[in-house]
Amino acid sequence: MNRLAAVLLVAVIGVPPGPPPAAAAPVHLPPVTRAKLRNGLTVLVMPTRRLPLVDMRLVARAGAVNDPAGKEGIASLTADLVTQGAGKRNARQFAEDIAFVGGSLDAGVGAEQFVVSCEVLKKDLATGLELFHDAIAAPTFPAEEFARKKDEALGAIASERDDPSSVADVAVLPFALGSSPLAHPSVGWEKSVQSLTRDDVLAFHRRWITPDNALLAVVGDVDPGTLIPELERRFADWKPSGAAAAPRVPPLEKINGRTVEIVSKPEVTQTQIRMTSLGVPRNDPDYFPIEVANLILGGGFTSRLVNAIRVEQGLTYSISTGFRMYRDVGTFSVVTFTRNETLRKTIDETLKVIEKLVSQGPTDDELAKAKRYLTGQYPLGLQASDALAQQILDVEFFGLDPHTIESFDEKVNAVTMVDVRRVLGTRFNTRDLKILVVSNPEVAKKALAGLGPIEVKPIP
Amino acid sequence: MASVRGSLLALAVALAVTGLRAPAGAATRPAPPAAGPSQFTPALLPVQRVVLGNGLTVLLHEDHSVPAVAFWQWYRVGSRDERPGITGISHFFEHMMFNGSKNVPPKMYDRILESNGGYSNAFTSNDMTAYYEEVASDRLGVPLRLDADRMAALSLLPEQLKSEIQVVKEERRLRVENDIAGMLNEQLYATAFNASPYHWPVIGWTRDLDRITREDMVEYFRIHYAPDNCIVVLTGDFNSRAALDSIRAYFGGIPRQPQPPTPVDSEPEQRGERRVDVHYPAQDVSFQIGYKAPGVRDPDLYVCDVLSSILGEGESSRLHQALVYQREIALDAGASFQTRINPGLFEISVEMKPGRTAAEGVAAVDSVLGALVEKGPTDREVQKARNLLEAGFIRGLKTNNGVGQQIAYYEHVFGDYRAMFTAIDRYRAVTAADCRRVAKKIFDSNKRTLAVLVPEKPGAEEARP
Repeated sequence: MNRLAAVLLVAVIGVPPGPPPAAAAPVHLPPVTRAKLRNGLTVLVMPTRRLPLVDMRLVARAGAVNDPAGKEGIASLTADLVTQGAGKRNARQFAEDIAFVGGSLDAGVGAEQFVVSCEVLKKDLATGLELFHDAIAAPTFPAEEFARKKDEALGAIASERDDPSSVADVAVLPFALGSSPLAHPSVGWEKSVQSLTRDDVLAFHRRWITPDNALLAVVGDVDPGTLIPELERRFADWKPSGAAAAPRVPPLEKINGRTVEIVSKPEVTQTQIRMTSLGVPRNDPDYFPIEVANLILGGGFTSRLVNAIRVEQGLTYSISTGFRMYRDVGTFSVVTFTRNETLRKTIDETLKVIEKLVSQGPTDDELAKAKRYLTGQYPLGLQASDALAQQILDVEFFGLDPHTIESFDEKVNAVTMVDVRRVLGTRFNTRDLKILVVSNPEVAKKALAGLGPIEVKPIP
Repeated sequence: MASVRGSLLALAVALAVTGLRAPAGAATRPAPPAAGPSQFTPALLPVQRVVLGNGLTVLLHEDHSVPAVAFWQWYRVGSRDERPGITGISHFFEHMMFNGSKNVPPKMYDRILESNGGYSNAFTSNDMTAYYEEVASDRLGVPLRLDADRMAALSLLPEQLKSEIQVVKEERRLRVENDIAGMLNEQLYATAFNASPYHWPVIGWTRDLDRITREDMVEYFRIHYAPDNCIVVLTGDFNSRAALDSIRAYFGGIPRQPQPPTPVDSEPEQRGERRVDVHYPAQDVSFQIGYKAPGVRDPDLYVCDVLSSILGEGESSRLHQALVYQREIALDAGASFQTRINPGLFEISVEMKPGRTAAEGVAAVDSVLGALVEKGPTDREVQKARNLLEAGFIRGLKTNNGVGQQIAYYEHVFGDYRAMFTAIDRYRAVTAADCRRVAKKIFDSNKRTLAVLVPEKPGAEEARP
């Protein structure tokens, strides 16, 4: 035991700040075969042989951002319905047939993407492909299913009001994003969802879910040589619209100074906190310096914020920062929570940590650690076939460098201290900040006095 | 990017996702008439198993697809090993294991690991406390050093204990005190079990958290954090011979300890339905039902997994079809059965639509269960459940981390990692008649507990200054 301890002493203490980054084994991905089907659909196929699984993922350039004003929630409701009757199957048969082969088939929307994904064992690819095609190209939108899913969406909106974290995530959108088409949750608002009709769903699907507005990736145990002709045949009946691409999202409204919104939830003993300022779109040239700086501030388990707020002061169980990068705009947010009694202290200490990092910059060790962490973690996200499908589609969706995945290490390692200091100075703004809390309003009003103009609102 | 360490739910989620809830080994059933060749065989997942002289079980699986490794340390200790007064201590360890050991001062564990591009997390359940790291292949030595050091000599410094218990209490506020499903589930188990160690929550009662002393921690560490009470699993891109040499060098000198006492389960037979109400501001009624269900030693486990799939897996499942689709009274209805070492609960949880009552929901669940008990499932339903469980296995193997978790889970809960290979065949042996027999045995209203969320108007609780 003593001998071992001596070995350990040398070994462990010798580690930080760490040996120079070993030339980490480069990421070698199987080659992607690209094709454009006659109907305009872009197809990417990556064969992998590790497991007898196939993942298919279709992304249409259409999301909650394309909900017309007053019809918020239509993209989401359309996605909910494409599996509720399609091709020759009604909703029950559709669910039964994908489950019978042990597969999964899901559709959903984010702010900017309408995603249909399917995972099946290789032996069940024909079934998976048929159902996947039908959900995309041949949904029937039965009237009774429309009524049911609309009702479920309204139920979900009500139910989320019980979860403080969800309340914060929903309420922060209009508070921080103002009149942007991104300023609502995918599921919509209670009032807008009530107004949705089946015709709205048909119109949304016709307008946006078309092969010339979509990308398809297939990753798994497949042969591109036989799969691509099969896709060509299967999707021949899916017709392009020839419609113009979606309009670009206008810049977000400027945030001036600090403002506070308290969302009233009198029963909570723990306050959810969201602090948001403006950020950058995904294709910003400073993407890598921003990711590195953000990791140092609020990523992983050793960030400045985790260290100060969680480890040293025990004020929270979790604190993180992040840049939400859309195609055309973006935000920067701090996400945390604390017991009601320590609300003000948590906000003050958090702001102090950010301001100090912005004004003084990180240490050389912190910068080196952040780069090693990012490059070390990246390959882990390239193991699962569904994760790979998402990664290769994101490169297409955001119009990134086609070598984004292979060159990730190189780009992270090229980030300099000057780059990080620069983005800290320009992109980590705490002066112009929307501070939202979900809390007992009487307690929060007292705690937050002096931080900025305060408005108390009900749960949206 | 959320810094969530200590997820109590991680296991439940992982099990649900990977379909791990497979029992095996325990059964002595004859070999099933296989419907076709199983896709899941030892050839798909070769594992080397070695037990070091100090009792540490080492399991290795090489896979060179990605230049990275996952390293699990799976301690055979969970909340079932606790006693009243120190509930939550197992989970508290999950936090403290990152807070300083003999040669790694507080904060340095994560700093060293992240400096080397690694990531770490952990979870605690009733039956286990499991830790893992993921690093690039060329940094394998880093977690081995760090993890051997904390197994050999955890510091448990008073200042760290004092600060970290605040973090744990914040986690409890998040998962239980401000979360409806969390508060219901805590009450469900506390009411269903009188004398089983599953009576108390994994995260512990708040006042116990305040009461745990450093002496309790030191004693608990000595008893439970010994090499012979741990399974380590390494998966990914490494050379087995060299890796085994390293593991032996780092862990081989840590002395074994006397076997910890086996937790006592004195749970008496339940002789009538129990009900607990929780009054809390909420939009809708929700409820959870727990039926007393078998532990890992009972061969009917396989049937319980199939029943859980038939009742609650996906939109075509019976509960979803009846409550959400046909009657349209619920937003969500599901079933879950987790293999536990001691007898646990077969859980059904339902969130009602606005304006619907718990009585309506319970009646609907009763009619679903009644039909299953009376007629059993169709052969097609049983086949579908088997296919879902088999595909779930394969999906659990997508990442090094997932593979490591499955191997460790089976080695711990079933006593032999190879149980995972026979599980598929065990499922294939389950018949509709088995399902009916076990449904009849389990879904007995005298052996159930009902936890109901009774909504109060939001804001009904006065503001507390």
